[in-house]
Amino acid sequence: MRLIWKLLRKHISVFELAVFFVANLIGMAVILAGIQIYSDLSPMLTGEKSLIGNDYMIISRPIERVGGETPKISEEEIEALRGEAFVENLGIFASSKFRVDGGIEFKGKQLSTMMFFESVPNEFIDVDSEEWNYEEGDNIVPIILPRNYLNLYNFGFSQTQGLPNITEEMIKRVEISLRIMGNGHTDYYSGYVVGFSDRLNTILVPMSFMTWANDYYSEDYSGDATRLILEVQNPSAPEVVEYMAEHNFVAEDKPSESNKALFLLQVCVAVIVCIGAVFSLLSIIILTLSIYLLLQKNVTKLENLVLIGYKPSYVAIPYILMTMILNVSIYLISIVLVSYGQGMYMGYIGKLFGVTLEASPATAIVAGLMLTAAITLFNFFIIYRKIAEISRKRC
Amino acid sequence: MKEIRLQSVVPEIFAERNDISSDIWLTDAILERGKSYLIEAASGTGKSSLCSYLYGQRGDYRGLISFDGEDVKGYNINHWCDIRQHNISILFQDLRLFGELTALENVEIKNRITKHRSAKQIEAWFEELGISDKLHSRIDRMSYGQQQRVALIRALCQSYDFLFLDEPISHLDDRNSDIMRDIVLREARAQGAAVVATSIGKHMNIDYDKTLRL
Repeated sequence: MRLIWKLLRKHISVFELAVFFVANLIGMAVILAGIQIYSDLSPMLTGEKSLIGNDYMIISRPIERVGGETPKISEEEIEALRGEAFVENLGIFASSKFRVDGGIEFKGKQLSTMMFFESVPNEFIDVDSEEWNYEEGDNIVPIILPRNYLNLYNFGFSQTQGLPNITEEMIKRVEISLRIMGNGHTDYYSGYVVGFSDRLNTILVPMSFMTWANDYYSEDYSGDATRLILEVQNPSAPEVVEYMAEHNFVAEDKPSESNKALFLLQVCVAVIVCIGAVFSLLSIIILTLSIYLLLQKNVTKLENLVLIGYKPSYVAIPYILMTMILNVSIYLISIVLVSYGQGMYMGYIGKLFGVTLEASPATAIVAGLMLTAAITLFNFFIIYRKIAEISRKRC
Repeated sequence: MKEIRLQSVVPEIFAERNDISSDIWLTDAILERGKSYLIEAASGTGKSSLCSYLYGQRGDYRGLISFDGEDVKGYNINHWCDIRQHNISILFQDLRLFGELTALENVEIKNRITKHRSAKQIEAWFEELGISDKLHSRIDRMSYGQQQRVALIRALCQSYDFLFLDEPISHLDDRNSDIMRDIVLREARAQGAAVVATSIGKHMNIDYDKTLRL
């Protein structure tokens, strides 16, 4: 093999190989980065590890006349909904059937207002707080507010009234004195805001508190459902829209963030992977032409080797080894680049969402291995075919 | 391999000619293992073509060429490579040596795949043929006559049933020609192989079993 290499290495153009190397390295790194980004980000947008949140929709009956009772949703209808394939999870809103007065002390003055509460099962709540629980007998009631309310205050109310802005942390420190009345009882509680929800546009208390309080303070608590929260794959899917219209439900018009984000991610990744693929394809063409040229320059030597008894498959070995070394180096460098990049963006995303994310380039390793194997096999094929062609034609 | 048989074989370019008078073309010719043949040819009678057909280099002929009764048209390139390693050895008219390798490397590149000869044997041949001082010289710096001797040594580095020598002594003086003849006869006898030499005039001084006119 040493002599064969000595013979055939002549005419190898370092420049052509370097162009191939750089182009394919860029292509491979871009493709693998695209695939890795997709595999890292898509579970954050869907599935259990979702960072942005799954697709939720809140539905109720339309309010059709003034002064009437809030339209109810029957148990049969709820069961029918649960049976639908598009419903992954379903929760019932419970609302307070008792009187709540909330007050805060502000600059020595007591400000008080009538309030209401709602509850949904914990799995639908997008606030992660250790204080989010209530046991019977507790005097402290945790509360979750919609982030919208705070924005409404900070960007609307406070500016027009010349009042100071408040931060989330400030609100969390404020005690809200709650007076709850009903069924012949009047009791006082301390309410604390433990978090802000982007998903649920209502004032939430834990379900355990709501169940107990409705039972205790309400004279005729029926537990009828009026609003539902649904976890669905895609709220704008035709079958969902059709079902809602058919069964006279209205959905709160909440943009499906994760859906849009996922779509954007898919578009971005597709563009990235396409760019990478173009690079790789061009680089493979460069390598193919380069190999053809190299074989053509060495055609007499190849022919003579076959004439003294070397089989085409043996003569192909130096070229195959050469492309294999190139491809494997490109693969390894790409993996290093991708895992470095991954560390950076995962760290950034982790900071953005306040979580620690594990960064493992496993997807890129597997995808890269497959891609490298495919490119290498293609190289084998064209090298062998070209040498066999030379042997057949000339020998 | 015991015999090479040519039945009504003629190069395609001669197919339309009707003035062919030859001991090989358009006849039934047999070359047998263990014998020696001289193929005498005038220019343009298809000597190179004949060697190419028998060595699997070209297939542009009509008729039937068979090795031990097997039509060679069915052989693929890998089969021919096996034959070139074990059954037929050839000293090409145009030598087909590798210019950028040394004389010894040119021989070694063949001996590597056949593993047929020892380094000592190879060096002894270089000595015998008077080119032992050229062992490590690049082939393209050597004279054609010296190259012819290197090509012969390379041709001997394998087992063979037929040893083809295509104008082997065209650039050798009588003394070197006789040395080459002695080696060829000695080696062919040792292997029980046939020697098939071609010539357009000057030929190795052998007592040929048969002389065929092309």
